[in-house]
Order: sequence, then structure tokens, then C-alpha cells
Amino acid sequence: MLVNFKINLQERGRIVAIVLTLVLFSFLTYYFQFHLGKIPISSLSSLYLQNPSHPSYLSYISIILTSVWWKKKRIWFAPAFLTILLIFIQLLFVTFGFKRYSDYFSLVMFIFVIVIVAFLGERIEKVKSLSDLNEKLDKEKSKLEDANKELDAFAYSVSHDLRVPLRAIDGFSRILIEDYENKLDEEGKRLINIVRGNTMKMGQLIDDILQLSRVGRQEMRISEINMEALVKNVYKELKLSNNKNMQLKVESLLPAYGDRILIQQILINLLSNSIKFTKPGETAVIEVGSKQGHDENIYYVMDRGVGFNMEYVNKLFGLFQRLHSQEEFEGTGVGLSIVQRIIKRHGGRVWGEGKVDGGATIYFTLPNEL
Amino acid sequence: MDLDEIEILLVEDNPTDAELTIRALKKKNLTNNLVWVKDGAEALEFLYATGSYSKRNIEGIPKLILLDLRMPKVDGLEVLQIIKKDERTKKIPVVILTSSKEDKDIVESYKLGVNSYVSKPVEFDEFTEAVSTLGLYWMLLNKPPE
Repeated sequence: MLVNFKINLQERGRIVAIVLTLVLFSFLTYYFQFHLGKIPISSLSSLYLQNPSHPSYLSYISIILTSVWWKKKRIWFAPAFLTILLIFIQLLFVTFGFKRYSDYFSLVMFIFVIVIVAFLGERIEKVKSLSDLNEKLDKEKSKLEDANKELDAFAYSVSHDLRVPLRAIDGFSRILIEDYENKLDEEGKRLINIVRGNTMKMGQLIDDILQLSRVGRQEMRISEINMEALVKNVYKELKLSNNKNMQLKVESLLPAYGDRILIQQILINLLSNSIKFTKPGETAVIEVGSKQGHDENIYYVMDRGVGFNMEYVNKLFGLFQRLHSQEEFEGTGVGLSIVQRIIKRHGGRVWGEGKVDGGATIYFTLPNEL
Repeated sequence: MDLDEIEILLVEDNPTDAELTIRALKKKNLTNNLVWVKDGAEALEFLYATGSYSKRNIEGIPKLILLDLRMPKVDGLEVLQIIKKDERTKKIPVVILTSSKEDKDIVESYKLGVNSYVSKPVEFDEFTEAVSTLGLYWMLLNKPPE
């Protein structure tokens, strides 16, 4: 049973209304059978007939009936039990002749019962509305699960079915060049290579969209993450698959709580960006650090590359938004969107700072406790 | 071509993918005894000498099966399951060659006993490289049980 006695204004009003109704109803019935005569209701009325000055048993019954009427169907249980108890106590008083005490007792208990009924009523209604809310939540949850399943099927279809014709376009363009080499001039070959170049872009876009959707759909498994080790791992892998000169500066990083695979994806995207956007010919210098916040840790990935114009900082995380042309740096503009989506799922924030030719820093926060 | 001495059975429903695959294998001279079937049902008919292949000698099993996953009639995973359950065919190396990179497909395939799982690259050079590499590996480098 909920025992939360915080009462807000609305509740107070309702309780007062309930109390007033019960008091009014009870006193009305009390008045009626006290002044207008004895109304035999049950065998209890014989007891009444002996002691007409007591607040009538009818009052107790009227309390119960009122609460039943006040749409709290289950409320009769507690006050009924209480009422029977009080009647019994009263009978004891009467039996042993403590008439005056029993009168005062009746009055006090009468008021007490009304107040309790009002509180109980309010509590039970709260419980009912909470369980209604829970039911609604369950329905919404199953709706969301269905939507997710649909998205899953859609993403699978995208990944599988779109790639097949793409492969055919690329493959047969190449076969055309290979088998008809002597019939194609330079211009012909150039045109076909444009076709091929665009199929590659489309393939990359499909992969990116898929990754973005996967990041949003997948269930998260939260655990404590050794951020320093993770960064070093990611850097090692990137160094292997990249022939650019690069350098990593990482001070000891604070651990965080999150889904390891998703956080790894963030680091891959951020470090790849730092490597990609270096000034041509220079070594990529990446610096990763962390700072302790209140209930979150702030991490940053900084580079000294080509940076970006702060004027466009609002577009930094936009989907497929790029701040450089395809000729300057390749990419589809989905890397930072993915980072933002993952951070949002962890309840954190992400933002960036940069200067044209002065490098860029991406900050993100992660919870440091469960 | 002698259907009893087939070396490679290519199960692929998409004709352009099939053509690219055969072309890649041809560059390494692996297509002399290659049969291409267009769906799972036909693959099973071929392997177990039923239906349109009932005249075939069932003892003549291929040395390598290249299997696509999403096919009409009988799915790739169903075919895989049947092949790996049947005593006569379970020793044949099966390489799944598919566009799908989905984890559930990979996990399910290995559960059913696939020998190798290759995701078809979109880019032509990568695709050719992948197919010819796996063709050479399974046909020449890998030693089958005999």
C-alpha cells in the first residue's frame, strides 16, 4: 500500500470535498434518526433504541455508503473493518457503563473515521490511476517494439536488396571498359568511370544509413568502460588501416558508463575525422582528454587539422551535412550524426569548437555512475 | 559438360551476380566444370538427382558449393541445413556468398555448419578479388576429405 503523504493542492481540495460530503451526509442521517424517530434498520437498531444519544450506527453505515458512491469501489473494505471495530468498542463501553466516555469516544472516532476514509479514498484512487498509467505504458511499449521490428526489416531490405543492382552497375561498367577497350576512347572511359564513381558513393551512403539506423535500434548493454584503453585500441586499429602519419596524445582518461560497442563507434568516428581532416602532408596529431563533471564526465577529441568555420557550428552534427566539398575531403557527412545519436541515447551532450586551419575539438559527456 | 563430374555448384538467383561470379572464376580457370542453378529447389534437385536432374549420377558430388542466401522457393539457409544433415553431402565445402552482412545471417549460417561466409563486395575489383581468392583456396589450396 502506498504510504506517500505528500499532498499537493489538488489533492487537498479533493480530500476536503470528500470530508465535507461525508460529514454532511453523516450528520444528516444522524439528525434524521435522532430527531425524527427511530428507524429500525437492522438488529443494530435495538441497541440504538437503548442509547439514542450516541451518534447512530446509521452514521457509520452512511460513511461506508458515501465512500462507495464516491467512485472508490474498493474503499468499503478498510472503513467497514474500522467501523465494525469501533461499534464493538462502543458496545464494550456501553456494556461496562462508561456512558460519558463512550459518548466522547464516539464523537472522536466519528471524526477520525471520516478523515481516514478521505485519505484512504485518495490513496486508492492514486494507486488505480498509476496502474492505469502502467497499462498505457505497456501498450505504448509494445507499439514501439512493433515499430522497431518494422525498421529492422526495412534496414535489412536496404542492406541486401539495394546492394545487388549497385554491384551490377559497377561490375558491368568495368566489364564494358575491359572487353571493349579498343572500341572506347578516353572520353568514353571517363564517362564510364563517372558511373562507377557514383555507384561507390551510393554504396557508401547505404552503409552509412544502415549504420545510423543500427545505432538507433540496437539494445544497449551498459557497463563500466575503461576509456583510455578503448581509445588506444581504436587508435591502433586506425593506424593499421591508414597510411597517414599520425600521433596520439592521451592522458589518463576517466572511466565512464555506457554501451561499449557504441562508445567504441564514437571514438572510431571522432578519431577517423581527426585523421581525415589533417592539413595535407602534415602528421595528424590527436589529443584525447577528460574532465570530471557533477554526475558526468566530459571528454574531448582535439586535432590540429583544417578545422571548420564556427559560423557553421550548428550544421556540424546535421545528417549528411558537410562543411567541406567532396574534392577537399571525402565523406558522406554521417559520422558526427552517428556520434550525436549515440551520445543522446546515453543521455549526454555533444558539441564542437573549431577554427579554420586551426584544428577542431569535439566534446561529449558520458555518465560516470549508473 | 558432364553433369556427373561437376566441380563447382553455383546457387545464385540473380543473373548479373551469377555472371560476375562466373567471370571472376573464369579468370582463374575454375569454370570448366561449373553448374549454375537459379534457386534452392533446383540446387537440391541437382545434388540429390531428383526432378529435372534425375538422370544424374548421385555419387558425383561437386567439390564446392557457392550458395546465395535470399532466394525464391527454397532459401539458402534451408538448402544449407539439408546439405549438412545428409550423410551423402555433408562433407562438401559450402561457401555462402551473399549481399547480406547481417549478424543474424552469419550466426545462423555457422550454426548450420557452413564452411565459410563471404559478403559480396559492391565494388567490382574487390568482388573479383574476393571470388577468385575463395575459388582458388577451396579448389586448390584446401584439401578435401577423400
